[in-house]
Amino acid sequence: MKQAVYGLLLYGFLVLPPVAALLESIMIVHMHMQMPLLVLSGIFMARFFQIHFPRFFEKWNKNGVPGVLLFMVIWSYWMIPRMMDETLSVQAVEVFKFISLPFLAGVSLRDSWSKLGSSAQSMVFVFLTVVFLFMAWIYIGADKQICNNYLEVEQKTLGWGSLAFALIMIIYFLQLFYIDQSEYK
Amino acid sequence: MFNVRKLAWVGFAFMLTGTALVAVMIILNEASVLYTFYPPLAAHPFFYVGLVLLVLGIWACCFGVFINYSHWRKAHRGQPTPLLAFFAMGVFVLWFFASIGITIEVLTLIPWSMGLVETTNVMVGRTLFWWFGHSLVNIWYLVAASVWYVVVPKLIGGRHFNEKLIKLVVILLVILNIPGGFHHQIVDPGISLSIKYLHVFMSLAIAVPSLMTAFAMFAVFERAGRRLGGKGLLGWLKKLPWGDVRFLAPMIAMIAFIPGGAGGIVNTSNQLNQVIHNTLWVVGHFHVTVGMSVVMTFFGICYWLVPYLAKRRLTAKMNRLGVIQTIIWTVGMVLMAGSQHAAGLLGDPRRTSFTTYGDHSTALSWIPYEYVMGMGAVLLLIGVLIQVYAVFHMMFFAPKGETEFPVAEAEDGAAPAPMWTERWGLWIVLLLMVVAMAYVVPIMDFILNAPPGSPPIKTW
Ligand code: HEM
Ligand SMILES: [Cu+2]
Repeated sequence: MKQAVYGLLLYGFLVLPPVAALLESIMIVHMHMQMPLLVLSGIFMARFFQIHFPRFFEKWNKNGVPGVLLFMVIWSYWMIPRMMDETLSVQAVEVFKFISLPFLAGVSLRDSWSKLGSSAQSMVFVFLTVVFLFMAWIYIGADKQICNNYLEVEQKTLGWGSLAFALIMIIYFLQLFYIDQSEYK
Repeated sequence: MFNVRKLAWVGFAFMLTGTALVAVMIILNEASVLYTFYPPLAAHPFFYVGLVLLVLGIWACCFGVFINYSHWRKAHRGQPTPLLAFFAMGVFVLWFFASIGITIEVLTLIPWSMGLVETTNVMVGRTLFWWFGHSLVNIWYLVAASVWYVVVPKLIGGRHFNEKLIKLVVILLVILNIPGGFHHQIVDPGISLSIKYLHVFMSLAIAVPSLMTAFAMFAVFERAGRRLGGKGLLGWLKKLPWGDVRFLAPMIAMIAFIPGGAGGIVNTSNQLNQVIHNTLWVVGHFHVTVGMSVVMTFFGICYWLVPYLAKRRLTAKMNRLGVIQTIIWTVGMVLMAGSQHAAGLLGDPRRTSFTTYGDHSTALSWIPYEYVMGMGAVLLLIGVLIQVYAVFHMMFFAPKGETEFPVAEAEDGAAPAPMWTERWGLWIVLLLMVVAMAYVVPIMDFILNAPPGSPPIKTW
């Protein structure tokens, strides 16, 4: 339960208008910091929902697959440049971001994770890696400004940042193979 | 198995050669670039080659530690690593990833200083330097902290603090460290204000594990002092072994970290940095942090490590000399650092040779402080001579005997650290994430919006 409180505090911090404005003013920070932090706050807050609504998760997310699919859909949705751009122009989209990332993506990821087998967990990592690589390709490759709110140089930065994240995910994967994880349980 | 001991000697040889080459180039006046060798100041290519050798030596030692660690893991499955080894792992992981920044910088400066490339991107160079430079000072700090946590409690007859908390401090310092480098660039151009603002948080985040250290250490002292019969609010203080140089030196070092850390927080705050940047204040800051917190801890280590290695004993006489040395060093550093802080606030610049700016009254007001600095420097010179004498004496002339390697035990019944603390693969991945997040914006900005670039410049 303590976790849920920390999650709520993090969420409350991220919602503060000056914090949101600062993080959203830099394209890559918006996508690779604010959005993952929102998911993270949801992951923490999930404890609250799991404790108070166990039946709901039991019924709808029995084997973890629906939850993880929901996570993937929400996450992919926010990787679309148009959507990120709209959060800055349309208030309702911004509100949807602050609700969907923690409560739909974060909570369902947490609830699904332990229910998934290790191969399904690996699939999530592969998914994220592929998404990052794809974004690197789009954002480095695009030779036009694709967002109204962000400059081309920020777009390129986001591309290189995505590439770096993809490479780090691959490094993470490799170390899973080379280092025996069973010791750390 | 790979011979780790040999690897360490190879590393030592590389570092010695590299340092010699760098020093020779400086003495020949072919490397008038100061300690940060910021481009566009250019040195002779051999200066940079010396730096490359130095880094290769560091890497050899890093791999030695990594191999040793994985070897130990295989032989001790399911056991948490001993604390000192855990610190070593943290220090060398940080060494390795910190030195990548400076390696890239130096490899671009070599062809530039040789004239093969016409210009260099000055801002990228500075940023890569501080990627390394900031972590460097934290590497020293982490080594000193390992002694505070693990050795000092043993010397006062106490136990070390909660193992999980200690390991958590190491992990946090390793993961969060590298982007701290940006706090050395608070007044640099080319980095947007919002990015600098985010880095204030990053920089202060490193203060959290430092504060955890302070809390833990004083808890350990109080417990040990009370166990020895110390009464009342502060009575336990008197029970500590102040006359033992092995304790006295690191204890003063720890106390010095209070003004050191407080000064650091001043440095890392945007508005205050405008006042103190490039003044003698910063020099005062690193005399307190490096000269006291780190170096005095290392001095204190000498009084048991050297006899331990040489299979000799620390005599009462040598202990007394050590206490005298510690006092001389402390007084010297307090005079030195105190006057530097004060002169810095009055605007006395760093990295410049002496001038009165045509007898300007402001410049003249610095002079009294500079006299105090001179007095401090004399004491420090005496202190260092005593220290060198002490080390030689303990290495070659002290009476033969056994010396213990002081390592504190856990409190009775304390739980061992959980095994997840050993997930170095994960810590390294998180470190890389933090680095990627911090560096991609400014570096891309510097490169994609680059100014013309600078040819090499030699001022004198
Ligand atoms: C709470 C901890 C600390 C903070 C927040 C901090 C912060 C800073 C900042 C912001 C500067 C740059 C000042 C400027 O140039 O304008 C600086 C300089 C420096 N610090 Fe610290 N510091 C801390 C602790 C330490 C420690 C423990 C060491 C060494 C073991 C250290 C060594 C140095 C050195 C050598 C410099 C000068 C670098 C140069 O040549 O420009 N600091 N510190
Ligand atoms: Cu620093």
